[in-house]
Amino acid sequence: MTGTPFSVTTRTTEAGAVVTVEGELDVATAPRLRAGIDTLVLRSGQRLVVDLAGVTFCDSSGISTLIAARNVAEAAGAGIALAAVPGRLRRTFGLIGLADFFPTYPSAEDAFGD
Amino acid sequence: MCEDHPGPGGQESAAPEFSALLEDSAEDLYEHAPCGYLSTLLDGTIAKINTTLLGWLGYEREDVVGRRRFAELLTVGGRIYHETHFAPLLRMQGELGGVAFELKAADGSRLPVLVTSTVKTGTDGQAQLIRTTIFDARDRRAYEQELLRAREEAERERDRVQRLARTLQQTLLPPALAEVPGVQVAAYYHPASADEVGGDFYDLFPLTGDTWGFFLGDVSGKGAAAAVVTSLARYTLRAAAVHDPDPATVLDRLNTVLHHEYRGSDPRYCTVVQGHLRPGGDGAAVTLATGGHPPALLIRADGTSAFVPVPGGQLVGALPRARFATADVLLHPGDTLLLYTDGLTEARTQGRDRYSEEQLQEYLADLAPTTAPAVITAVTGLLAGFGDGVEDDTALLALGIPLPGGDRP
Amino acid sequence: MCAVSMRTRNNVTVTGREEGPTLLLAHGFGCDQNLWRLVVPELARRYRVVLFDHTGAGRSDLSAWTPERYGSLDGYADDVLAICHELDLRDVVLVGHSVSAMIAVLAANREPDRFAKLVLLTPSPCYVDDGDYRGGFSRADIDELLAALESNYLGWSATMAPVIMGNPDRPELGEELTNSFCRTDPAIARVFARVTFLSDNRADLAKVTVPTLILECANDAIAPPEVGRFTHEQIPGSTLVTLNATGHCPQLSAPEATAEAITAFASGQ
Repeated sequence: MTGTPFSVTTRTTEAGAVVTVEGELDVATAPRLRAGIDTLVLRSGQRLVVDLAGVTFCDSSGISTLIAARNVAEAAGAGIALAAVPGRLRRTFGLIGLADFFPTYPSAEDAFGD
Repeated sequence: MCEDHPGPGGQESAAPEFSALLEDSAEDLYEHAPCGYLSTLLDGTIAKINTTLLGWLGYEREDVVGRRRFAELLTVGGRIYHETHFAPLLRMQGELGGVAFELKAADGSRLPVLVTSTVKTGTDGQAQLIRTTIFDARDRRAYEQELLRAREEAERERDRVQRLARTLQQTLLPPALAEVPGVQVAAYYHPASADEVGGDFYDLFPLTGDTWGFFLGDVSGKGAAAAVVTSLARYTLRAAAVHDPDPATVLDRLNTVLHHEYRGSDPRYCTVVQGHLRPGGDGAAVTLATGGHPPALLIRADGTSAFVPVPGGQLVGALPRARFATADVLLHPGDTLLLYTDGLTEARTQGRDRYSEEQLQEYLADLAPTTAPAVITAVTGLLAGFGDGVEDDTALLALGIPLPGGDRP
Repeated sequence: MCAVSMRTRNNVTVTGREEGPTLLLAHGFGCDQNLWRLVVPELARRYRVVLFDHTGAGRSDLSAWTPERYGSLDGYADDVLAICHELDLRDVVLVGHSVSAMIAVLAANREPDRFAKLVLLTPSPCYVDDGDYRGGFSRADIDELLAALESNYLGWSATMAPVIMGNPDRPELGEELTNSFCRTDPAIARVFARVTFLSDNRADLAKVTVPTLILECANDAIAPPEVGRFTHEQIPGSTLVTLNATGHCPQLSAPEATAEAITAFASGQ
């Protein structure tokens, strides 16, 4: 029934970390994203970027996890951004007004640009 | 493999012991095997039986050979099973292994065993006799019974959880919606799972003499944690609605309360439509505020339809300050307003495709002019058609103005 | 609810002489239509032979099984009649083995005009002893059977796997068969066992108006001779034939005698 299998990969750089998510982000898979974020060590001034290019679906559990990620970043004094948000998700995020909480960029590189 | 070890004669080499083994006759091996051996005619009459099995059963050879059938050694239930499953299957397949039975010993006690049989055929291909091996299965039976018991307990636990979820669910929904003069109201709640309490909620309640409040919302996640938030949300919304005429202020109040409770590592939020309804003239005035929730769908009597635009509302409880916007809608006779949660618009229709707001709009606009109960019935039917495709709970609340003159479509 | 094809749902197979009289063979408890394999070739020479799997058995659609419908033999009788309707079978000779003998009685009592004759193979209208009536088993015996089914569910999973088998008895048949025999949902098997062995259809026997043959075995642990005699006495005008065979499945242990007895009755008169 699902297309792309779910996966979370993390990559750390001087500027922060990029978490790349693929597949369906829902109540079953959100804990794995959460686990991925919990492994990161963020420092003040860094940025956590979540790359959503490969995400095919995101429900309230997925959104809660993104909010939790935001809280984690904030607690470390770091920032958070979303990158490459696919069309359908852009709509959902727009509906719930996520833009105010999460700066959004076309790609992870752009997210570290400023 | 050949290790020297002292035997009764002092230092002995391995060879004599080996030949003692070899001299062990086939007869002895058969009679005293660690398992039971049995040969029967095709009708089950016992033709040959080894000493081991006789010992287990407590019979003498002459009591059994030529006089009893194999099936007579079984318990009654086992005999029925033998006649209806074992014997026919053995006949068809020529062999059958690992079937659990209980043998009845001469003293009336029962011996759990595993039975394997093969049909021996002659050179002409005709079946001649049945050879059966019988293994003592006492330990294995004890293990199976333990497994069975564990399974029954798990099933009981599961039933208990489901009953609990059902009870909890029922307390979270309003038992009966308030009656509003001149307005038809209908609602429906569709749980996605029997085990877990969902996070959808709705209510309709009187505020002042001529105004009613309502809301419909969706808490993130499921289960007990979400249920607690649902409870808190409903309570807060109802209390705030009584004090504040402005729905956006009510949502702000809810946001403050939820954010205060749930910031940190396990954030909970909800999306909500909050509003009030004032009947007047031949219809009703509705004011809505939305917090990150799918827009309400208005189906007008003339067949036009639109989503009520309330742009800029944000989800409730996620941030210390959130923005909410309000919209006003006038309902005229034949108009119906539908509030729903995304369990409906995100249901899978076929395979991987999901439903959508556009499809919902198309489907319902065709019903115009319609009524609140008719819309709920139509959408309920839609959900039933999706079957397992509905992955999230769905709540529906419809408000409509009936057409005058008893003309109810 | 849309109409379901009985043909698919109950794995109906039709073989034999297209223009011959129709024999509808209903298997009993514990197996599926494969049980008839050894008599079908002989019967097919003369008759149009219709076989099927009861709902919940063999290759039937297990999802069609509900405890409400199949909590009594009436649900199975409904299916038999539905198959007759769908295939437009008329003047049917209905052959019911074991519990299907009573299913056949129920079906024939509902639509006597559809059936030319009934053959009840090792029937029993009631398995549990009741006062003067001897069915052969006590209630405790049946409970023991249900317990045996429970334990075999856990122990049988390997044996339940399909076995590709040749036919050692009839090499001329030649084909290999995937044996779905005895493979069914254990929960369904348990309910079917309960329904079979706790049913009491003694009162239905006297209502039979279709000419009936009772075929019993000389040595049947499931259906003692008293039961065959009782069934014969209760069904007006019935014929009783005792096969010199052992066990409960003469169509397997004595296929020639069984086929001969069925043919003699079906074609006679």
